[in-house]
Amino acid sequence: MKRIFLVGIIIMFIVSLSFSAISDKDTLAGKCMTCHKEKSPGLYRQWFSSAHGMHNVTCIDCHSAEKSDADGYIHYDILIATLVTPKDCGKCHKKEMEEIDKSYHAKAGMILESADAYLAHAAGGHPVAIAGCESCHGSKIIIDSKSPNKLSIKSWPNSGIGRLNPDGSKGSCTACHTRHNFTKSQARQPEACGKCHLGPDHPQKEIYEESKHGNAYYTNIPKMNLDSDKWVVGEDYFLAPTCASCHMSATSGQKVTHDVGDRITWTLRPKVSKRLDNWQQRKKNMVDVCTNCHGKTFVDGHYYQYDALVELYNEKFAKPAGEIMAIVKKNKLLKNKAAFSNKIEWIYWEIWHHEGRRARHGAAMMAPDYTWWHGIYEVAQHFYFKLIPEAMKFKNAELDSYLDKLLQTPMHKWLNQPTDQLKKKIKSGELQQIYKELFKKKN
Amino acid sequence: MFEKYKIFIKGISLTSAGRLGMIFSTSAFISFILFELLQISGILTNAYIGLITYLLFPALFIFGLILIPIGWYLYRKKMNMSTSELMKKSFGEKGAKGGAIGSLIFRTVLILTLINVLFIVVAGFSTLKFMDQSKFCGTACHQVMGPEWTTYQASPHARVKCVECHVGEGVSALIDSKLSGLRQMWKSVLNSYERPVPTPVHNLRPSRETCEKCHWPAKFYGHNLKVIRRYSLDKDSTLKYITLDMKIDTGKEKAKAGIHWHIAAENEVHYVSVNEKRLEMLWVEVKQKNGSFKRFSNSALKGDVKKVSEEKISVRTMDCVDCHNRATHIYEEPEKAVDKRISKGQLDRSLPYAKRVVLAAVTANYPDKEAGLNGISNYLNGYYRRKYPDLAGQKLDHISEMIKTAQEIYSRNVHPVMKVEWGTYPSFLGHKRDTGCFRCHNNNLKDEDGKMISFDCTLCHSILSYGEDKTFKYMEFPDKKSPNYKMHKMLREEFLNSPE
Repeated sequence: MKRIFLVGIIIMFIVSLSFSAISDKDTLAGKCMTCHKEKSPGLYRQWFSSAHGMHNVTCIDCHSAEKSDADGYIHYDILIATLVTPKDCGKCHKKEMEEIDKSYHAKAGMILESADAYLAHAAGGHPVAIAGCESCHGSKIIIDSKSPNKLSIKSWPNSGIGRLNPDGSKGSCTACHTRHNFTKSQARQPEACGKCHLGPDHPQKEIYEESKHGNAYYTNIPKMNLDSDKWVVGEDYFLAPTCASCHMSATSGQKVTHDVGDRITWTLRPKVSKRLDNWQQRKKNMVDVCTNCHGKTFVDGHYYQYDALVELYNEKFAKPAGEIMAIVKKNKLLKNKAAFSNKIEWIYWEIWHHEGRRARHGAAMMAPDYTWWHGIYEVAQHFYFKLIPEAMKFKNAELDSYLDKLLQTPMHKWLNQPTDQLKKKIKSGELQQIYKELFKKKN
Repeated sequence: MFEKYKIFIKGISLTSAGRLGMIFSTSAFISFILFELLQISGILTNAYIGLITYLLFPALFIFGLILIPIGWYLYRKKMNMSTSELMKKSFGEKGAKGGAIGSLIFRTVLILTLINVLFIVVAGFSTLKFMDQSKFCGTACHQVMGPEWTTYQASPHARVKCVECHVGEGVSALIDSKLSGLRQMWKSVLNSYERPVPTPVHNLRPSRETCEKCHWPAKFYGHNLKVIRRYSLDKDSTLKYITLDMKIDTGKEKAKAGIHWHIAAENEVHYVSVNEKRLEMLWVEVKQKNGSFKRFSNSALKGDVKKVSEEKISVRTMDCVDCHNRATHIYEEPEKAVDKRISKGQLDRSLPYAKRVVLAAVTANYPDKEAGLNGISNYLNGYYRRKYPDLAGQKLDHISEMIKTAQEIYSRNVHPVMKVEWGTYPSFLGHKRDTGCFRCHNNNLKDEDGKMISFDCTLCHSILSYGEDKTFKYMEFPDKKSPNYKMHKMLREEFLNSPE
């Protein structure tokens, strides 16, 4: 009996302790709120109207720091961190955090640590690497003990999608769910992706706007039910898809995913496009989205046309251009040592990194102008009239013999044929026959 | 009887200077008496009549009196005769003949001189008294003083005379003020004064001599419950309350101390600011119990600014005007001005977006006052006619009233001639836009250990409502479902547990 009594007292003591701890934390939260309501009313009102506000998730629930956190600092009576990382968000949003962590988005910051940042640093300079590249890719957060919030101003502010955080986590949820109201609706809109996915090298946003999908979306924004908690295509909305609809959001058969690569079959980023691992499953995931609004044959037809375009780019231009560059390098033909210090390198770069991607993305998302005029048209022009003439200037036997052979291949032979003849071949379908293999390729 | 005065007047008016002196002094004397009588009887009320009566007439009178001996001297020189010979010539044997207390003419001069001296003393006092009147300060240089006169009249110190704060007591203060008045008049004549006129708090009489005559620090200030009515910018201009229990005591014990702690007898606060505007601090010092001073330096300032400022600006000991810098010449903030008129019933908030449109109308940029008044009228009329044509007809009177009130707000606070716009003279009370309290109570001012001056919201006021629809919202039990739950709970407990 005595023992039970004692245990009871101990339990009550612990309970009361934990209660006092809670109330103490609440008091601190209340203090943050009172002051910030005055000092940063915009921020406060964003939060107030957010789902976090509705569920009493307040400042310190996200911003409180542990003693072991490198970026923790004392802000009045409490240890906090400015930086809220996916790890912090993951305390409540575990599934999303895990999906983000394994996604390609999370690797965006790694690019900056590798040779890819070379061009920005060498040809551009440090400020553009920070304000340009790292703004999208994410910076490597540097701790600066002299800075008021312990974050070096060279790496903060930054909400890049692959930000390398001091706690080891990668990315930043606010890249899409802009603080401080973190709505789902804003991440569902193409503008969220459009912060980075636009411009000469990967104009996904503009491609979307050109496509019928974009047309339909902008016509029907008020009917898109963007604020709805549940947002299943075909159920909660049906007039148009956004970027999120196809790449992330739920369908009646699939759950929402924060791994944006889960539904794509090709990698359209590199010099030569490749199928992703497990692309058949990824394709199934996407087809599941498509078929909410399209018939199966329509979807099959799209993939047939899109795949062939990617193969066309790969086979006709990307691989030969790559081969030309390989021969140039093998024979040490470049005059200047540094990468990007020779004209031909810039020509090649723009062919694959800008124009080639535009063509491939254009075909993937059905934007005809991007596929041809901003895409393959420019690839062809620069391949024939910039890259090859520049390569010929080296007067290297191996290179010349490769180029001679290349221009005799069926896809490039047209250069030395009379127009009349070519026109006849187009009419008769003979010229098109050259490309029939591209439609058959399956991987 | 009058014959001898006639002779006397003739006698001293022999030269043109004498004649002129005679005319000036006599007419000034008579006019002064006449105008004074008219003012006493209330027939004349204009401040400019005062200027003539108390400045021009006495000046003319004295000028005339000076001319008379000059005239006599010139006459004597011209005639080349001795004084007694001239006297005999002008006033006859009888007038110049010496008696028990001098000649007849001497006695006449003596009597008249006594009268003159008496008059000059009376007129002098009247002049000083007149110049002590706020009306004189406010309207004599009406363009320059226009903004200050307008705000003064609407202030809590409207019944305290200008000179009580701006001049002070004693002969030296009086002489100082008259000299600087002369300088200002000269600048005004040359039109070379600064616009906007710089705030004279820097050479204002010390508040020990002025403010503290009525508001002495040892007085108990306790708490002050402040209910601010703030209207939203929505269609209904919805009323929201900010209710603050201001802790304003000087209190010795730390827990009871309030805002007037700063000026309590046992405390002393020094500071050096970056420039004369006193908006940004270089450092602040607080007297410790052992008599030493603890310094909080501005960590946000770069070296250059620091150096320049330290050379230029002297150390100031904090007193009333460091916070109450606009105790009298209060320029309103646009939003507060509109809120006040709505709560007084001068603006009908049943008109859609009443607050928003009035705010837009009064804060727009107008080249001069006339354009401002017209612009306000056009804007508000236009807005309702365009957006709510039906309402514009039905509520014509309300819209007219709204225009009148908006024009009053504008006239009170904006004075384009003097380049006084919204925000030209910021108030340091409160902490709007990081001024006021937050000049020192911020996270840049740190002591050697990196500790900041506290700026906990509840340090200076308990908050009983903050943008809520009830005056004492946070006295109620907090609602767990509200996003504000934790703040509400904290503020409620703070108020309930705060001492006295």
